[in-house]
Amino acid sequence: MRHILTITTCAIVMAACAASKPIARGVPVTAQAKAFPFPTTGKTLPNGLRVFVVEYDSPGLVAYYSIVRTGSRNEVESGKSGFAHFFEHMMFRGTTQFSTEKYNAAIKAMGADSNAFTSDDMTVYHILAGAQALPTIVTIEADRFQHLDYAEAEFQKEARAVLGEYNKGASDPLQPMIEALYDHAFQTHTYKHTTIGFLRDIEDMPNQFAYSRQFFDRYYRPDNTILLVVGDVTADKVLPLIEQHYGAWSAGPERPTVPAEPPQAHEQRTTVPWKGASLPMLLIGFHVPAFSTANTDSVALEVLAELVFAERSPLFRRLVLEEQKVEHMDGSAERHVDPNLFNILARVKQGKDMAYVESAIYDEIARVAEQGTDDKTLAEVVSRTRYGFAGQLSTADKVALVGADFLARTGKLTTIDETFALLSQVTVADVKRVAGKYFTPQNRSVVVLEPGEP
Amino acid sequence: MLLSTAVAAFSSSALAAQAGEGNHASQIRIVRLPSPSSPLVTLRLVFQVGAADDEPGKEGLADLTGSLLGEGGTLKRTWSEVLDALYPMAADIHYHGDKDTFVFTGTVHRDNLEAFASLLAEQILTPRFSVEDFTRLKQDALDSITKTLRGNDDEDLGKQAMATLLYRGHPYGYPTPGTVAGLTAITLDDVKRFYEQHFTRQRLILGIAGGYPDNFPEAYAARLAALPAVGKPRANLPPPPSSQGMEFLLVEKPAHGNAISMGHTLDVTRADDDFYPLAVAASYLGEHRTFNGILMLNMRQKRGLNYGDYAYVENFIQDGWSTFPQPNNPRRQQHFEIWLRPVPPASAGFAIREAIYETDKFIREGIPDAGFEATRAFLLNYINLWAQDGSRRLGYAIDAEIYGKDVIAELRARLPKMTKADVDQAVRKHLSTKNLAVAVVGDKLRELAKALAAGSPTPIVYDTKDTPAEIVKEDKLIEAYPLPVSSSRLKIVSANSLFEK
Repeated sequence: MRHILTITTCAIVMAACAASKPIARGVPVTAQAKAFPFPTTGKTLPNGLRVFVVEYDSPGLVAYYSIVRTGSRNEVESGKSGFAHFFEHMMFRGTTQFSTEKYNAAIKAMGADSNAFTSDDMTVYHILAGAQALPTIVTIEADRFQHLDYAEAEFQKEARAVLGEYNKGASDPLQPMIEALYDHAFQTHTYKHTTIGFLRDIEDMPNQFAYSRQFFDRYYRPDNTILLVVGDVTADKVLPLIEQHYGAWSAGPERPTVPAEPPQAHEQRTTVPWKGASLPMLLIGFHVPAFSTANTDSVALEVLAELVFAERSPLFRRLVLEEQKVEHMDGSAERHVDPNLFNILARVKQGKDMAYVESAIYDEIARVAEQGTDDKTLAEVVSRTRYGFAGQLSTADKVALVGADFLARTGKLTTIDETFALLSQVTVADVKRVAGKYFTPQNRSVVVLEPGEP
Repeated sequence: MLLSTAVAAFSSSALAAQAGEGNHASQIRIVRLPSPSSPLVTLRLVFQVGAADDEPGKEGLADLTGSLLGEGGTLKRTWSEVLDALYPMAADIHYHGDKDTFVFTGTVHRDNLEAFASLLAEQILTPRFSVEDFTRLKQDALDSITKTLRGNDDEDLGKQAMATLLYRGHPYGYPTPGTVAGLTAITLDDVKRFYEQHFTRQRLILGIAGGYPDNFPEAYAARLAALPAVGKPRANLPPPPSSQGMEFLLVEKPAHGNAISMGHTLDVTRADDDFYPLAVAASYLGEHRTFNGILMLNMRQKRGLNYGDYAYVENFIQDGWSTFPQPNNPRRQQHFEIWLRPVPPASAGFAIREAIYETDKFIREGIPDAGFEATRAFLLNYINLWAQDGSRRLGYAIDAEIYGKDVIAELRARLPKMTKADVDQAVRKHLSTKNLAVAVVGDKLRELAKALAAGSPTPIVYDTKDTPAEIVKEDKLIEAYPLPVSSSRLKIVSANSLFEK
């Protein structure tokens, strides 16, 4: 496969990790009880900060992830969309002890790969470096999470770097399509806006200095943060360091609740005009529940995504390979804290085929709701998912990325094994049930990209 | 230091001992990277075949042929049946082409190695070359040029537009997937002929890493020995075209910002000693996706001009979402490049001038002592992150086979002995802004063209307050920084006119 085009807006972790520690030969991955088999230690400090240390065979390397359980989902005030992501930028703007220059110099001296990302549900800061640098990492990270300090002029300059990031993405038509999809699909919940935010709010960011301080005070607190340390480390070395540097961090004010989204009453539909060249595109979102291991709905939806949209699916074979009306197609439900969307994307070769392709997608989902699938195909989905999981965690950094995704949403690493245990229990009846329950006309929102040029 | 020792054992010395045994009975060069405790195995098949081998008038032939091997059926199975077979293994055949290489790669759990390796061999040895696959992939290639590149990715468009200036009339001078005229002219018979003449044992390097059985590499090479031993000789590259001063290509299309790429050809690759001090120079000027470089510091952090500003001394393709380069895109000729992520249109002229001003200053004054020491220390650690897993280690090992030098091992050995003078000397010898090719992608570029041609000042437009006085003072210098722009070397074109032939 050459084209990797995805509608997800943050890290996907359905497929995730495996051991680089030896696994007994002869035991197929699909027969192994644990999908996340690494020695793990968890501890909660008195201030509420949770710490997980995962020992992973990566000689000399450590991945240090600071997970703030706040993302664009938490942008509850009007006019503040995109602020969680903007604040991620501001976290690199220094403290009294470590100015931006000193912080960058420390990172550079370690030869570290250091960055951050924001999604709907989380903001994650990550550093990959030599394990011997761990004391320095803990020092500078603990400092900026407690003592961030920046001037308004720096704040304003960074606001324009964020506008630059928006402009960078704006040449991809998926950006306005996703904006339109969520804007139409949600009326009260903050998933209405994308993580980068509405352009009007980004343009106004330089005027929000005071709000930025409030945002830091509200969300950058120990009881809203999880540390995940993966690699050539042991808990007995890591935990004392963390207790020493984060122990004085205090819990903050009560955080606002996120408004719930009422059920959608009828189909939402819109078109996005595109002035430049592009293939026409179709983006469909069906409302689905929040990620949970309390029942099989979430994993059954992941199985459904494989059955209907994987490259070996009958629909892909028909539309992409045989009829050649579609260049690319995928569909999936990202895990979310609150109910979100199961998204389907098709890049259609000719605009005249748009309605045909859309109908074919609905027909195939209806067919699965009616007929289900056979046990062999279901077993193959489980096999692919387990081996995909086993293949992806090939480095300490990838293990940490997977762990961070689960920790941000559920607060637990054990959710990984719970998810895979549920996956092996999903039945054809479960798949038929979720296909019939959630994929209804009134539950969907549809965005069509209409290029202005042939 | 534990880190260096451990990673060195993984990536360089142990690797060098097992790499590139060219006299194997199959005549296929093999690079082995055993890691018995790993549950994963990576295969990389690197053919030294690329766009530089395209036949005149059939631009895109190499890439389309490779695509049909990577994403087409075999004599035994349709592509749909191949996908069926791959599915339960969670294995995918990834492929990518460049100017001088075409690469097939896949990582699979060792439980599934035999099945996956057999499928991959089937793809390479017995391609189906069906009309259906050919039609689909040829249309995909055309759409990737006329729709996706022209209309969905301004930054890539800027880089490809710059390449048309750097390599005018040269095999590197058009996108690897081809041109519209070239792709349109290609027939299925062309593909079959190209395959037979170019996908040969002589051009193949087989790389295997991970927890594979001891005898697997030889057995697999023996299977691949069904490829022809030799075919068409590798075409010699012409020298890159000589530049006659700064040149601008302004590419108009609807856009929010202006994406900018600029560069010049370099007579240096990883095979040359001067590459290594130049790598330090590029890191100091603008290490990819980090806050280290002076371009990033001065343009983004101090002025808020955009999201990022980076510099390179070889062609750079980012590996997925990581910050590291994708391995196995070696080129016989390289270029120096500065990449400015989209800037506000009102400040585009300033951004171009600032990048050139900063680069000129760097060339003129040399790398500061502290900057040299910090960059050297950074790279000595950072190179250990470039090859974290088996697949990437294998990629670097194969690149070492092609260049004759392992870039990680070379940097590890050379950096401790390198001096500031080595960097300054290499920079003055090889880098210059005099002959820069500059590509700008954006909307309504006529005003920018007029200002550049007239040599008029192009001030930065701030809508933020309290810019420090020393920055404002320097802005005055930069906005009028003299650029040797000749109107005859400044062209405005529509995005839709690019890459036609």
